[in-house]
Amino acid sequence: MPSGTGVPLLISGRRLADKSLLPAAGAVEASALEGIAVNTTETALLAKSRRRRKARIHTGNLLFLLPAMLLFGYVVLVPFVQGIPYSFTNWKSIISPEKQFNGLSNYIMMLKNSYFQNAFGHTLLFTLIYEVGTNLLGLGIALLLFRSSKFANLCRTMMFVPFTTALTSAAIVWSYVYTDVYSALFHLASPLGQSSQVVAGMAVIAIWRDMGYCMLIYIAGLKAIPDDYYEAATLDGAGVWQKFRHVTLPLLVPSFTANVTLLLAWGLRCFDYPMAVARNMEAAQTSAMFVYDYIFGFSKAGLGQAAAVILTIVLVVLTRVTTYLFRKSEVEA
Amino acid sequence: MTETTPAPMAESQQLAARYTAAQVLARQRRRELVRGLCKKAVCIAMVCVTLIPFYISFIYSIKYKNEITVSHLAWPQHPTLSNYVRVITENEQFLVGIKNSVLTTIPTILLLMVICSMASWVLARNETPFYNFLYTLLTMGTLIPFQCIMLPLYLNMFNAGLVSTNIGFVIARSGLQVSISILVITSFVKTVPREMEEAAVIDGCGKLQTFWRIVFPLLKPINATQLVLNTVYVWNDYNTAVVLLRDKASRTLPLAQIVYFNENTSELNLAFAFFIMAMLPILILYFCLQKYVVSGVMSGAVKG
Repeated sequence: MPSGTGVPLLISGRRLADKSLLPAAGAVEASALEGIAVNTTETALLAKSRRRRKARIHTGNLLFLLPAMLLFGYVVLVPFVQGIPYSFTNWKSIISPEKQFNGLSNYIMMLKNSYFQNAFGHTLLFTLIYEVGTNLLGLGIALLLFRSSKFANLCRTMMFVPFTTALTSAAIVWSYVYTDVYSALFHLASPLGQSSQVVAGMAVIAIWRDMGYCMLIYIAGLKAIPDDYYEAATLDGAGVWQKFRHVTLPLLVPSFTANVTLLLAWGLRCFDYPMAVARNMEAAQTSAMFVYDYIFGFSKAGLGQAAAVILTIVLVVLTRVTTYLFRKSEVEA
Repeated sequence: MTETTPAPMAESQQLAARYTAAQVLARQRRRELVRGLCKKAVCIAMVCVTLIPFYISFIYSIKYKNEITVSHLAWPQHPTLSNYVRVITENEQFLVGIKNSVLTTIPTILLLMVICSMASWVLARNETPFYNFLYTLLTMGTLIPFQCIMLPLYLNMFNAGLVSTNIGFVIARSGLQVSISILVITSFVKTVPREMEEAAVIDGCGKLQTFWRIVFPLLKPINATQLVLNTVYVWNDYNTAVVLLRDKASRTLPLAQIVYFNENTSELNLAFAFFIMAMLPILILYFCLQKYVVSGVMSGAVKG
């Protein structure tokens, strides 16, 4: 319980009596309580009732937290802890119970495995294009739409619509956008059909789907910048670009942090796009697909789990590093 | 950014030497108008480009099969709804998929709304080390990719007989959304003043009553946001579904859709009718609650 709340509000009759604040109507009760107070000291009584009330509040709080904790524990926390030992075993098919501890050899094998390296490379490339594209477009659109008006609000609503589609549907529809619009207009083959372009092709789909989300986060950041700053910069003779560079960008750092870490998490987990449109292309294989195939397809559960743990470590480390770097360059608005 | 700021002193003085004040004003106003129109044109173009995939899906879904190959993107000469009728009446996978999607999404979002509001309220109002630890633990889930937990989760659920069942999918999807929901709702609760709750306690309300009568209604805006976002995540989920829903009868829409596409690449008109119908419920929900979604995503964002 934070200090100052609850305590004075939940004053019990007993405590009122101790402090002799009780009006005449409660005098009988007060005198009865004074009888008890003869035996125990005033402070001990107070402490006892406070402890009991605290315990009751505590139990109530825990009961409120319980359902969420149970679900989270069963679905995320317990499996996470269970999964780490699997990555140190030579477990093959998940149907057989047979598995033996084999130390770090899974990890060493994974880091040497060229399929894994390639899948990881594709994932990182996908995430990079996705981060840059989504942030640039999101920020650009946000700059156009951050002043509220009926028109701007309508545009925002429309720009967010792609985010409501399933990743798999988006990928499938885009495979036809590529063949029927892109190819027809520019006379180029669909990027989803070519090994050298498939990752970029999928990244474009992801950018299209998520830039609306990114845009909203930037709009929130832009709205939080006070107009006085721009006026002051204008008086100092700053041009459009200078104002953007020295006022807008530094004050948008929290929005950058939010977007970059969010997209990092989404990008590194990329699974649905290649599953939907490039299932059999080696050049489109991502780490998440690799893990899925090793565990459920190729019966190499130990190796797959090791790859999953590596993916998690990379995700956590990259997120922490970006947050740290951005926090350092944050300024007070 | 600049349209409202006055031109620098030197420039306006020069102008004043050559033109009358009225002319300068008219010039400025015209320039602003042109700039505003250009901006609007860019916005409209952007929105149109963004919506191209929806246009394609819609156009293909109301054309007959042989018309697609002739007039790719043009408006159909004989628009038809027969594709929709055919998907509904002939395609078992669609009906099974939509039944499972509805039966899993609705319980999941309702469950999340209640339990995450309860947990977030407690976490936001108690900032002792103990509760801060619980908060960190619960929100840590946003950093764990599903790939890392899917094998143990699958095995646990298999042993409990929950694989390929609606209830199993509801449990898994709710558990996966708990972290992000608590993160967002807790930061919202912190912006809600405590006075109402304190007044309720003085009036003799218990904890449950205070929550249900006072706090939960106050959380309506953020719960509306979460309702839409969680529906988007759960209805569209493919990764969890492909791991946990192993038999045909338990498939949700995204799974059914992929299977259907792989089997029927020749009948695009049907495939796109399927696609439109699969996303229609979410689109309707989104447009009904769009003001909450836009403001909710923005309010959650400022805190990172």
